[in-house]
Parts: sequence; structure tokens; C-alpha cells
Amino acid sequence: MILLLIVLSLFLGQQANRPTGQQANRPTGQQAIGQSGHRVIRVSAERFAFTPSEITVERGTVIEFHLTSDDTDHGFRIVGTDVNAEIPKRRRGEAVVKYVADTAGRFVIECSRPCGAGHTAMRAVLIVK
Amino acid sequence: MPGLHSFASWKSAICAGTLLLSASAQAQTPSPSREGVATLSGYMEVHLNKEQDLPAEADLHRFVLMVGHTFTDRLKFWSEVEIEHAFVEGAEESGEVAIEQAYVDLMLHRRANVRAGMVLVPVGIVNERHEPPTFHGVERTFVDSVIVPTTWRDTGVGLFGDLGRGFSYRTYFVPGLDATGFAAEEGIKDGRQQGGHADASDPAITGRLEYRNVGLTAGGSFWYGGSGFGLVRLEIESPKVGVASVDARYRRDRHELRAQWSMVNITGAGDLNRALQANTGLSPNIASRLLGAYGEYAVRVSPNSWLHEVMVFGRYELFDTQNKMPDGFQPLEELQRSALVVGATYFPDPDVAFKFDVVRERNKSSFISAPWRVNLGVGWWF
Repeated sequence: MILLLIVLSLFLGQQANRPTGQQANRPTGQQAIGQSGHRVIRVSAERFAFTPSEITVERGTVIEFHLTSDDTDHGFRIVGTDVNAEIPKRRRGEAVVKYVADTAGRFVIECSRPCGAGHTAMRAVLIVK
Repeated sequence: MPGLHSFASWKSAICAGTLLLSASAQAQTPSPSREGVATLSGYMEVHLNKEQDLPAEADLHRFVLMVGHTFTDRLKFWSEVEIEHAFVEGAEESGEVAIEQAYVDLMLHRRANVRAGMVLVPVGIVNERHEPPTFHGVERTFVDSVIVPTTWRDTGVGLFGDLGRGFSYRTYFVPGLDATGFAAEEGIKDGRQQGGHADASDPAITGRLEYRNVGLTAGGSFWYGGSGFGLVRLEIESPKVGVASVDARYRRDRHELRAQWSMVNITGAGDLNRALQANTGLSPNIASRLLGAYGEYAVRVSPNSWLHEVMVFGRYELFDTQNKMPDGFQPLEELQRSALVVGATYFPDPDVAFKFDVVRERNKSSFISAPWRVNLGVGWWF
């Protein structure tokens, strides 16, 4: 049976290369890159949580969110802003969203694509100091 | 079909949102309001089960539609309607239409939000995460069938929130169980009231504390409350039921691990057995303690270059619904069970799972042997 599944994969499978821009097994979390005021933040989504679920930056920071999923496709919406991206499914690459955090405050991040039984509670917070 | 139209519009909105990727988004202009938008999603699973000495059985086990609605960013509705075994006709026992969830979330604060309606009891892994692509094996685990009776839901009200540093919680008040439905083989499963004319005079509290870090999810959960007698009058004190469960999942690269330990304690099980026997003429032989645990390992065997995935897995389960008996009652050894489950899951897409497994069940009885089972299935989420 396993062999059958593997053969089936060979026929149907997209032995394609990974989509460009896919995350290279870097840990989820926040990373500063050389340029001052510019941060790369890696966020992993999985039913029904974002990791990390709390992100803190200084006002004026240009954030580059790198968004991946461990299961289905999720949404990444920062409530009160224009940001509303689709995070591709597991091993289908990553979404990259740039956001200028020029307004201080607490911004709710929510999954904007139905993902299952706990979808409505799939939230995180962006704190801009 | 305004709902479907809204759904299509919503999908378009998501696509448009995707086009914003890599583009700088400014905070000044809020995104279009999502108020009034309805969403539709769901999952289905079809099984072919062959049990030793029995004919093979094909079954559209679950057909589930989920409908959500956003009133405002702080007020949301979510629901899950399930048809089991393809159809329900008259009073036949072959099928079931059930509301598994129907609740409103009032978002007050990151750490404390209100949920009210029909909720899922947050015990164990599968009860809240039961979409077919989220677990290996055609059927749910035995532990999540006879120890934790998934899908366990009831009307309730409670709080949920994110505590920071990876911790989150959910806790609800719900009606208790109906002890007249308890049984030796499936424990408290038929004692669930499931939100329909539920006796709420003997309430329960349930909750879960969960921790998440990269690749790891671990949780502890409980249910504690009364178990009144529905319409049956029994002249005994209402038994108290306590359920405790600890679970963890870990995923790294090709490898996945998950484990769960669950225990059910029923006080006054002896009195309950005697009272039910006086009422029905038959002792249900309900245990005072039920115990279950499993460990599972899965590995992706398909090459990294394939987007399609093939995973193989093995799981060992203990599920003993006669773990501790009340004084004067003997355990039924055929219900002190274990199972070895091995199989494979093929994901042509992360939301579609073709499944195969072989189940070797055992028990402690010298006279009644447990059957072999072979299962095939496909499940999908959309």
C-alpha cells in the first residue's frame, strides 16, 4: 500500500522544485537584520494559533513578515490596516508582507481565512511602542 | 444565494490581499470592513472498514459544513453542522445530524474573551482538532472514542484568551452528563447531553491550558461536574465525574510525535450500577476509573522535492474502560484493551488525506479475542 501511494505520488506529484522564496528552515520568531529600523519577523501559522503570538517593535520600524503554515492556508490580517495576506499551505512557500509600523498601539492580528473548529480564536497581537 | 455570493466575494478579497505581498502597507488606511461577511468551509471523510469475520463496510462517515459570520471585528459567529453516516431516516440509528458547534465570540481583551453557545469541550487533542488531514489513521484514536468521547460538545459559556509567552487557555461552564447513559464498553460516551434539552441543574466546568513553541504544542485539560439522571429517577446521589488529560504534539522536519494520557473517574459507580440494575434488570458494570493513553510517531517518507507527501505512522494505544471497579464488581477483561495501529497517509494536498491502516487490537480476556481491522479512507478539508 505504501508502495502504491509512492507510485501514485510519482504520477500525480508535482516533483516540482519548491516555490521560490520558501523559508529555509529558519526558526520562527523575530530577527533583526543589519539595517536599522528594519526587522524580519518570521511567523508560523497552525490551527489555531500564530507563533509567536505577541510581536513588539519600536514605532517607525519597517517590518518584513515572513509567513508560513504548518497545515492549511491561513489568513494574516492586521485589524485596522490594509494588511490581509494569504499564508500558503504547508511546504507551499511563504508569504512576505512589509508593513511600516508608524502608528503606536496594539494591533490585533487575526486569521482571515476559515481554518477549522477554532478559527475565530486564532489571533496574535502586534505592539508598536 | 447571497451567502455564497458573499463567500465568493470574500475569496476575491483574499486574492486581492495576496497581491499586496511584498508591497509596503501603510497603517493609516484601514482595510475594507469585513462586517457582515459570511464564510463557508467544511470537511468530509469516507471510510472502507474491514473487520475480521465481518463483511467490509463502506461509509460516508462525516459530512460537515462550517458557517461563520463576522458581525464586527469584536463579534464573531462560528458553527459546525454534521451529518454522520450519509443519511438519517425516521428514528433509525444509522445516521445522525448534529450541531457540533454554534457559538458567538465576544472579543474583549487578548487575555479574556467571552464565548457562548454550543462549544467543544477542550479536552485532549482530537476533540478540538478533528479535521481529517490533522490526524493519522482512518478512524480517530480509541482513546478519543471510548475515554474522551469525541466529538464532545455541549451548550456553554466561558472565557478564552492568550496569556502570552506561548500560553493560552479556554474554560467553560457546561451542563453535566447523564449517568444513565454510562456503559462498560464506551464509558461516558452515551452520557453526553449534546445541547438538546440538556439537564443543566447539575453543571460542570471544563478547561484547557495550552503551551506552544516552535513545532511543539502541549496541553493539560479537565472536565469536572455532575451527572444527573435525565428523565430516569434513581434514588442515589448524583455521581461526580472528573476527566483529566495531558497531551503533546511535536513536529520537526519530517518527523511528527504525539501522545496523550486521559483518565475518567466516576464517584459512586457502585451505587449507580445497582440503581440501574434495579431499574433495567441488567447491571451496566460501569467502572469507577477509565484510563487511556497513546503514543504515535509519523515520518514523511516522500522526498523533499515533492509537494505531495507520503507519511507512514505507528501508534500504540491502551484503552481500559474497566481500569478500576467499584467494590463488589469485577472488570470485564475483554474491555481492558490495547491496539497497535500502523499505516500510511498520502497528502496530494495538505488539505486532502488518503489513509490506510491496519489495527491489531488485543485484550486481557482468555476467551474473547479482539479482531483485526483494515481501514481505507479519504478525508478532506476546504
